[in-house]
Amino acid sequence: MRLAGRLGGAAVSLLMVAVLGFFLFRVVPGDPVVSMTRGRPTTAAMQAELRTQFGLDRPLVEQFWHYFTGLLRGDMGTSFTFRRPVADVILERLGPTLLLVGTSTLIAVVLGLWLGVRAAWRRDSGFDRATTGVSLTLWAVPTFWLGMLLMMATGDLFPSRGMRDTDTAPDFVSQALDVGHHLVLPSLTLVAVVCAEYVLVMRSSLLEEMHAPYLTTARAKGLRDDLVRRRHAVPNAVLPAITLVFLRFGLVVAGAITTETVFSWPGLGLLFYDALTGPDYFLLQGLLVVTAGAVVVMNLLADVLHGVLDPRVKVV
Amino acid sequence: MIKPSLELKNLSVHYGHKRVVHDVNLALEPGQTLGLAGESGSGKSTVAMSVLRLLPRTAHVEGEILLDGDDVRTMSWGRLRAVRWASASIVFQGAMHSLNPVQRVGEQIAEPMRLHGTGGSVGELLEQVELPLGKARAYPHELSGGQKQRVMIAMALACGPRLVIADEPTTALDVVVQAQVLGVLKRLVAEQDLGLLMISHDLSVLAETCDDLAVMHRGELVERGRTREVIANPRHPHTAALTAAFPVIGDPAHRWAEPAPEPQPLLEVRDLAVDYGRTRAVDGVDLTIGRGEIVALVGQSGSGKTTLARTIMGLRTPSSGRVIFDGVEVPRKGKALKAFRRQVQLVLQDPASALNPRHTVHDAVAEGLRVHGLADDEESQVTAAVERAELRPASLYLEALPHELSGGQQQRVVIAGALVLQPRLLVADEPVASLDASVRGEIVALLLRLRRELGLASLIITHDLGLAWQIADRVAVMHQGKIVEQGSVEQVLLNPTHDYTRALLRAVPQV
Repeated sequence: MRLAGRLGGAAVSLLMVAVLGFFLFRVVPGDPVVSMTRGRPTTAAMQAELRTQFGLDRPLVEQFWHYFTGLLRGDMGTSFTFRRPVADVILERLGPTLLLVGTSTLIAVVLGLWLGVRAAWRRDSGFDRATTGVSLTLWAVPTFWLGMLLMMATGDLFPSRGMRDTDTAPDFVSQALDVGHHLVLPSLTLVAVVCAEYVLVMRSSLLEEMHAPYLTTARAKGLRDDLVRRRHAVPNAVLPAITLVFLRFGLVVAGAITTETVFSWPGLGLLFYDALTGPDYFLLQGLLVVTAGAVVVMNLLADVLHGVLDPRVKVV
Repeated sequence: MIKPSLELKNLSVHYGHKRVVHDVNLALEPGQTLGLAGESGSGKSTVAMSVLRLLPRTAHVEGEILLDGDDVRTMSWGRLRAVRWASASIVFQGAMHSLNPVQRVGEQIAEPMRLHGTGGSVGELLEQVELPLGKARAYPHELSGGQKQRVMIAMALACGPRLVIADEPTTALDVVVQAQVLGVLKRLVAEQDLGLLMISHDLSVLAETCDDLAVMHRGELVERGRTREVIANPRHPHTAALTAAFPVIGDPAHRWAEPAPEPQPLLEVRDLAVDYGRTRAVDGVDLTIGRGEIVALVGQSGSGKTTLARTIMGLRTPSSGRVIFDGVEVPRKGKALKAFRRQVQLVLQDPASALNPRHTVHDAVAEGLRVHGLADDEESQVTAAVERAELRPASLYLEALPHELSGGQQQRVVIAGALVLQPRLLVADEPVASLDASVRGEIVALLLRLRRELGLASLIITHDLGLAWQIADRVAVMHQGKIVEQGSVEQVLLNPTHDYTRALLRAVPQV
């Protein structure tokens, strides 16, 4: 029953996202047709024609109905700038983003949790101070600046623009190697920035558990220190971190706007940036729905998983 | 001569310059049962933890700790791990997170057996502590306090140690469950001829279980002897204070409440029922508290005492029935309810968690005044209340934060916070349960003095029949939402008529 409740909650959130996505872009100031045709000489007749073409001359309720039924079919309208369906544009950019942000989040999670555990277990040691200090510094540094710094520091070692070179052989292995090569700098930047959060959450969560009486019980049983940590302390301390990880996974889809822009990575982040500079209303609307939807779904997954991992929480 | 299974020679423990255990000498022969009594901060738990070298790194330990003749202090880590749990094990206070919350209890019991390569089965161990086999698959939060404590005992016996150390094994359990757990522990220690070192602040619990008794005070061992003799003829004044602090039911010397004349009713509860969903927590209760009268509401946890108290205070709406205060039905909402609440104040069990750690004593006491808009002349009202609660002179305490005060002083602050509103009825939920024995007596005396001087009536909610004997004029016994017996203290506690009252009285450990 609890699971049904959560599912219902998620469904309601998704509906809100859809509604918000529509009205948010109707209340922002500025005429979409004007911004669409900016810099080009247009007559009032041409503008009126564009209005009709995008359905902007209909009453708001009708527009919403058109948008909403379209959304259910997977149709999110047509992008002004790309002159193509929004759904196609987003789908095309989803792969590169999942590759970049997915890879770096995975690395950041594993590395961050491991560092956090080590740091907490040896609190106030040199290792702890170094880890915490470096994490906090990297977290505080602006992403674009770090990215540019990395570009300069590595020189010509790694490519710093795009996802693949045009002159790479078409076979799978060389393509994969090429993409991997391009992936190094942007993912390094992202890991450096994101990792800190996991380090700090894991560290503080484990520090809270460090004085838990059940760890004394475990030591009294004769367990080695690393077993006390692995079997008893970490399974309890990791629970809050798991929730955070999944919330972050939700944001993976939104891409990393700054990183993708700095490295011209052809993902959703860069698309967001382009759509904003337009501004391309239908594209922004579609991006909002997709990214917010991903956060809602991941939230739901985090809830369910928390229930599986923590017997005290009954979800299913 | 038999080699002692545990021998402490000149044991001292320091944390920096702070000395917590000083020069303790103690020996325990195989199969011997020894109780170690003392208040919080007396160093008794430090002694227990030092036996398996479980003290934090910052502890500086001197002297010898001989476990079967081997010094634990100088053992290699490998040897120490082999000795832990196999030679001596510890029954921790199970209700307090001593079990891993995300691991099944069967797995936790089996862990030391696998680790030390000893035989035996979880099923047998559970049977010994009288738990059904199916409980092995339960997680700690699915078990009651008593069941968790049985799991702790089963776990302690898993590797067949010759010595068991029990650290406050029944604290926080109610009296009936405590009696059951002590019964199991006593039986197993006798059957398997185990040595037992039991630590408690409660002399009566130790008297039930141990042949010998040692008393610690401020880090030193002040007395040691046969339990009966120590309790009957305490040689050290601290031991005498400890024995005096636990009231013996039926002993006139422990009856502190002076007889009160037949009082006028202040609060009347008529046929009150409270439901939580489909569960009836309070079922047709009639109860009267007179002006200046102290009534003890006793019963096990889950009997509905706290729900009844909350309803009386207007914090819960009853399903049916009436609560009449000073001749008027208690209002259920609005300004009138707020005005009623001022006259009935609550004192909770654990002052440390009842006080906001960042509020000074002044803030804590003045809060009620501010809530009720009575803050004019706040300074003098707060000072008066704090002094009434016997924190004198008030100026010494007003700017203090809770952590700078002792447990007894914290409880006085909570009481001052209630007194400042000049209530007519005090509802106290286990007011002394988390306090040390010596402080406990002072708080009881304070409540009695408030009654004498201010005519303040009290409803004392407790599972401690000794406290009821000490302080109350009348006792009401609550069981499964109903009041099964009520009357004067002498009547109910000395000549109980209901079976449940008799069962409660039987469960009280006898000194």
